[in-house]
Amino acid sequence: MFHAATLFLVAAGLQLVFGVQKIVNLACGSFYALGAYFGISLVTWALQAGLPPPLFLPVLLVAGLLLAAIGPLVERLLRLIYDRDESFQMLLTFALVLMFEDVIRRLWGTSPYQLGQIYLVYGQLRVAGLTIPVYNLIVIAAGLAIAVLMGWLLARTRFGRIVRASAENRAMSEALGVDMSRLYTRVFTLGTALGTVGGALVVPATAASIEIAVELIVEAFAVVVIGGLGSMRGAFVGALIVGIMRAVAIATYPEVEMLAIYLVVVAVLVLRPAGLFAKAAA
Amino acid sequence: MNTTRRNFIKILGGGTAAAGIGVAPAFAQTGPVKMGVLVIKSGVAAQVGESGLRGTQWGVDRVNAGGGILGRKIELVVEEESSPKDTVERFRKLALQNKADVITGGISTGVGLALGPVAEELKALWLSWDATTQKGVEETMPNPKYAFRSCDNECEAIMASIITARNWKGKIKTVAGINPDYSYGRDNWAAFLAVMKRYDMGVTPVADLWPKLGTTDFTSHVAALQQVKADLIFSCFWAADASIFLKQAHAAGLIPATRLVFTTAGGVHETLKKAFTPEGMILGYNTMYFEDPKASALQKEFVKWHYEKFKEWPNYESDHAYFTVVAYKAAVERAAKAAGGKWPTAEQIIPALEGLEVESLSGMRRYRQDHIMEANFYQGLTTYKNAYDFVTVNPVEMMTTKQVQKPSGVGLYDWINGWKV
Repeated sequence: MFHAATLFLVAAGLQLVFGVQKIVNLACGSFYALGAYFGISLVTWALQAGLPPPLFLPVLLVAGLLLAAIGPLVERLLRLIYDRDESFQMLLTFALVLMFEDVIRRLWGTSPYQLGQIYLVYGQLRVAGLTIPVYNLIVIAAGLAIAVLMGWLLARTRFGRIVRASAENRAMSEALGVDMSRLYTRVFTLGTALGTVGGALVVPATAASIEIAVELIVEAFAVVVIGGLGSMRGAFVGALIVGIMRAVAIATYPEVEMLAIYLVVVAVLVLRPAGLFAKAAA
Repeated sequence: MNTTRRNFIKILGGGTAAAGIGVAPAFAQTGPVKMGVLVIKSGVAAQVGESGLRGTQWGVDRVNAGGGILGRKIELVVEEESSPKDTVERFRKLALQNKADVITGGISTGVGLALGPVAEELKALWLSWDATTQKGVEETMPNPKYAFRSCDNECEAIMASIITARNWKGKIKTVAGINPDYSYGRDNWAAFLAVMKRYDMGVTPVADLWPKLGTTDFTSHVAALQQVKADLIFSCFWAADASIFLKQAHAAGLIPATRLVFTTAGGVHETLKKAFTPEGMILGYNTMYFEDPKASALQKEFVKWHYEKFKEWPNYESDHAYFTVVAYKAAVERAAKAAGGKWPTAEQIIPALEGLEVESLSGMRRYRQDHIMEANFYQGLTTYKNAYDFVTVNPVEMMTTKQVQKPSGVGLYDWINGWKV
């Protein structure tokens, strides 16, 4: 479940951006990694400045949101290739992944980065003989909350209606007076924030490393293929399936952890090539 | 150097001529001795790689301050160790282009397996720090000429298993393993089970988990371990995975419920904070324990220098690396003596390295006749009684490779099964 929450946040950013801008943004994994690193730095700094430990959660959120400011900058760069072939877009966003890796290497070094033990300040919960850190539950709850929020935003607000309309038919919404370039910037920034906030939220329970960007992109792809490219609900269900498959495989036949996930991917590709939730909202 | 076109052609011509008559890399006998060094610089093992480089630098500075090797200073040419394929390319560059007199380094056995044959092919002397040329627990190069390898992969697992048997026989019934999913992890787990069997421990393995090297989220693994409720968890995690796993296992309440054996996590000892690492866990420091009360004057001096310079307490990789520097120096001097005072060729240095014993940071170390290192290993039960925020061990126990490494030419399991226990 915990891993599913992580995957959902990364995949959601990927889906949102693809849904509207038709760009497969591989850099969503890098946004997650950057959020994780920046989150650790900001919290470490805040704790040194005298922040009471239980308040580290809001600091992480702030770190994630602040970092989303790189969204508009990256979007500006991507604007150059909106009309180009998809393979160009993939290449450019993959180049971004590599560039961000070097940025991390420069700023934070190559060793994995961790945030001490403060995530246990919220205590542990004992359920049916199992001990679960409350923080892990907070992350899962945050994943759910973000899913609900995104659903509400897309289905019930004016912004959501415009986003969905533009996803369906870009030319028509443009003709109806939607400022596309502004919309794209906003959508992309939102997609970036899903990644950076996700990274910042998850990192206290794990660690940040340079490799997580690429690893998460690969897994997020499995999620997206299962759920259906461009579908928010697909991201949610896909992340749950991958997260749970992985946990079950590790507990029963650890050798087949990856095999199990990709068997589902293959099954979906054969039976429902467009994914379980193709063509749903945005 | 200002290379004009004309003398560039001359250099080129000279090179071609040398290659044409089939001479092995020519070793200049004046100027500095070139020591190529392969260092892991990124990823989970970067910290360990850096540690090796520090040990090398310290050793080289001391040798140079003492007048170098036969009057020649050592000059380091550092290249990166990464994937086997890329590292082989850099090894070739060091040997052929930089004309290194000796190449040290190599941590990953995946890389070691690739470098071994290349060292033989290029006739380039290679002194590995930590990498072996083992496939599984068996040796792939029983009689190399130019390749000198580290101690076997599973020494630390064997020592930890012996301590386990001695301390906890009759107290454990079920065991679980969580080890990185590559040869090192597999070899260590296999060796542990073999020793358990030899000691008639009567234990049943109830889980063996293989996270990828570099995994940062072990929550699913911890959950799986909670279900099997093993009496003991064995792990040879040696990088950030050790502390991340312990942190997540502690958070999930797994730790007080089980005994732990961490064969190699002493390499990242400063990350094993008291906040989540238990007391009474078997912890291995590989070949050097920074706080050994019986440490030599040399180790004490190094530890002090390391802490003052980096604000960190050193680990075993510095010791492996330092040994390769001083072993090379001693072998050159020994070979030069035999060659009547002339700078020896690689072929003359090799027999001088075989059986050579020199003092390293952690005590005396040797190269066996089959070019495998012999060293001392340090492990113990963790304690909080120290001045740090991380665990140390007390008392620290030392075992030699005579006790924990299979002898030349003998299979691991045959050797273990032949023990008198």
